[in-house]
Amino acid sequence: MRRRRDYEALSFGVAIGVLSAVAIAFLIAPTLILLLTSFTDSESLKFPPSGYSFRWYAALLEADQLLATAWNSLVVACWTTVASVVLGVTAALGIGRSRSPWAKAADALFMSPLLLPALAFGFGALIFFNMIGLVQSIAGLTLGHVVVCVPFVLRNSIAALSQLDPAMLEASESLGASRFYTFRRVTLPLIAPGVGAGAFIAFMSSFDNIPVSLFVADARTQMLPIYLWEIIETNLDVRTAAASGVIVVATLVLMILAERFAGLTKQLR
Amino acid sequence: MAARAAAGGREWRLALPLAAFFLAFFVAPLGVLVAWSFYDSAELRALTLAQYARFLGDRFTLGILWDTLTLGAKATLVCLVFGYPLAWLALRLPPRWQAALVFLVILPILTSVVVRTFAWIVMLGSQGVINQALAAIGLVDRPLRLLYTEVGVVMVLAQVQMPLMVLPIMATLARVDPNLSDASSSLGAGAWRTFWKVTVPLSLPGVVAGCILVYAACVTAFVTQTLIGGARLIYMPLYIYQQATGANNWPFAAAMSVVFMIAVLAVVYLLNLVGRAARGAYA
Amino acid sequence: MTTTLDRRSFLAAGLGLGASLALPRRALAADSLVVATFPGTWNEAHSKILAPYFRKRTGASVTQTIQLAHDQIAKLAAAGGKPPFDVAILDDPQVLDAIKQGLIVEYPTAKSPSFKELLPEYQDRWGPKISMQVIGIGYNPKRVKNPPTSWDALFDPKYKGRVGLTALNSQLGIAFLAELNRIKGGSLADFEPAFKALRAVLPNVGAIGANLGAYATLWQQEQIDIAPYNFNFVQTLKGRGVPVELAIPDTGAVGWRTSLHLVKDAVAPDLAVQYIDSHLVAEVQAQMQQAPYNVIPTNGKVALTGEITRSLGRTHAELAKIRTIDWEKLNPQRSALIERFNREIRV
Repeated sequence: MRRRRDYEALSFGVAIGVLSAVAIAFLIAPTLILLLTSFTDSESLKFPPSGYSFRWYAALLEADQLLATAWNSLVVACWTTVASVVLGVTAALGIGRSRSPWAKAADALFMSPLLLPALAFGFGALIFFNMIGLVQSIAGLTLGHVVVCVPFVLRNSIAALSQLDPAMLEASESLGASRFYTFRRVTLPLIAPGVGAGAFIAFMSSFDNIPVSLFVADARTQMLPIYLWEIIETNLDVRTAAASGVIVVATLVLMILAERFAGLTKQLR
Repeated sequence: MAARAAAGGREWRLALPLAAFFLAFFVAPLGVLVAWSFYDSAELRALTLAQYARFLGDRFTLGILWDTLTLGAKATLVCLVFGYPLAWLALRLPPRWQAALVFLVILPILTSVVVRTFAWIVMLGSQGVINQALAAIGLVDRPLRLLYTEVGVVMVLAQVQMPLMVLPIMATLARVDPNLSDASSSLGAGAWRTFWKVTVPLSLPGVVAGCILVYAACVTAFVTQTLIGGARLIYMPLYIYQQATGANNWPFAAAMSVVFMIAVLAVVYLLNLVGRAARGAYA
Repeated sequence: MTTTLDRRSFLAAGLGLGASLALPRRALAADSLVVATFPGTWNEAHSKILAPYFRKRTGASVTQTIQLAHDQIAKLAAAGGKPPFDVAILDDPQVLDAIKQGLIVEYPTAKSPSFKELLPEYQDRWGPKISMQVIGIGYNPKRVKNPPTSWDALFDPKYKGRVGLTALNSQLGIAFLAELNRIKGGSLADFEPAFKALRAVLPNVGAIGANLGAYATLWQQEQIDIAPYNFNFVQTLKGRGVPVELAIPDTGAVGWRTSLHLVKDAVAPDLAVQYIDSHLVAEVQAQMQQAPYNVIPTNGKVALTGEITRSLGRTHAELAKIRTIDWEKLNPQRSALIERFNREIRV
């Protein structure tokens, strides 16, 4: 009996360990290999590179079109994040604690962009924007992005609200504070890290959005991921590896900052 | 303030701005999409079911839909097999390591999907890292074909969407009372038995949530499907895109989008049912 | 991150968003031009040679969007009076489509000083021909020791799993299919022989690129060793150190002409004409004729040199003998051919 249990514990540990190890290796490998490849000194993408240099990073500085698309993506991601936070947090306050079927239905509607194939929505947005004349505009792209990014803010805000102690809010109001004052001075500071984590995810997923931009963006409002996809598809240009390297490092820095100031990993669990 | 929702009863109005926004820019575009799927042509001379008939009456297009739905299922399964142990392990690590692991898990979802897929092209080629590694340890004597195969697409999708699986599972596992599994082992149940009979059933809500998110993301992952899949593996997103922009056949593309949405929602609904049934059975 | 979000920043953010939505469509700077370009050689030569020249000449900046001719036509047709780019780059067959659908306007030759320098066969009133593209058999010299001499090499069992093909959305794909059809006894009215040959070659096929970029990847990662390819793309890949060469089969080369066009309702038509004219200037064409681009010049003042004279023809008269395809006859069947091809190759 004892032997069997030891064996079981061992086999269980080995199974978990092996599967996790493979999973971790697969999670890290692409990023690592990409970073290494971007320092290649040759004209073609091979791993391992024949030699190392910074030439493709230097070439990025002259790639003004790449920089212009990166700027477009950044502008759209910023507006998307702002709009998602404003709309998402207010909605979370409205339905976060309600148990009414209406609130449930609204919640399901607001979360549904995560469940539907986003590409179908992107195509619908293209037809719709064509009808109302919003094509070739940053505004159209932003509106489309907000739809698919707001669920992240909403989800995290509701989660943060559900951990608030109601007694604290009641205390504030019984002391004569207005609702808005309570919100500003009590609720908001307490849910800020949760909202922040949601905003961070919303920002990243707008910056990286493909399904909506694929249809709504065009040559005059080109977005970075679509442009990168275009050059990877057409040239497999080494500059894309360098551009990717910059994105990876920038994301890492953002993530570390988010972790320091908002406890990102804690908020996401 | 939110706590007083029940008392005040007016808090729901705060949801109105987002509701209005969704009506205008989410429901309306989808409505327009559905309307277009009944057009006979871009000039709209008549309303018709012809687009649906064309889609549903053709084994080629039905095959594409089926391949897409099963691709999502395979990738979700792989995600679950590797993601669950990872979540389980993460919760048993000291806090510092746990944060590091979560960090690693979310890293891929935050690095551009194009960028990640691009790295995989370099890895999956017949001279790529994976084949070199397999050859080095003597597992294969000639390179495996991974790029432009379904196996390759499944591998990449599973990696790319892993965080969507791990995070919800961690969230539910964290709420599972550790005393339960302790009790189980002290009653003589082995590690495997405790795992299957106690841990897994209790974490089912997280598993179902993870599966739904991963599935929805995998079936619509246009870039990964086309870059890794190549020309011979056609999935719905590419086909819709080709019909919408290449062939300029908006009504047909709209009908395909609608069928695709309904199919995916049906799978999500089924997953939900399974989750609920399983929870019911264990409760 | 948002810990400092107070009422004021909420308000400011809201107002900002409102303002940005109220703004008219992004005001386009008068001194910037959006043009379409082809992948591979074209995109590289256009961004490294043409764009700098154009910038020097006009002071305007240019944004290049990489799209196949087929997709440009679709985008222009869908745009309904708001074209996403002002200059289109098309191959012979799509020029016919574009004229028929009224997507391009006649080229104002009077405003284009270099137009008259083009050889007569390249002066087209719908838009000047900027080059000629030629296809043959690409191969990896590391693994294919003897240069292939005939398209039949693709069917050779010794290349099992090493043959590549590309989808028919590109001109390369469709021209290859038409040539295969001709050799196997088909005609433009009957493509059965081509599809029969395609089924025969499929067991040999290791990969089919969904587009020209994926196709370049196949060569670069040495995933395929022998496949139909385009003269210019071979030169460009070679320039990057990729092991690839082009062989012209004994049945002769096949080619088509490529041209630039002023799009109807262009946002900056004058700049667009300047851009097109820049491509016709002898100095620019001479530069593009250098390796690794090897773009065939159409300006009479540019003498043929380099790889072009070695593998395609020593004079313009010789180049003029390269076989072309009757696109008037092929065009109406093109979408049916693409559809059928996609069905035949699906795993």
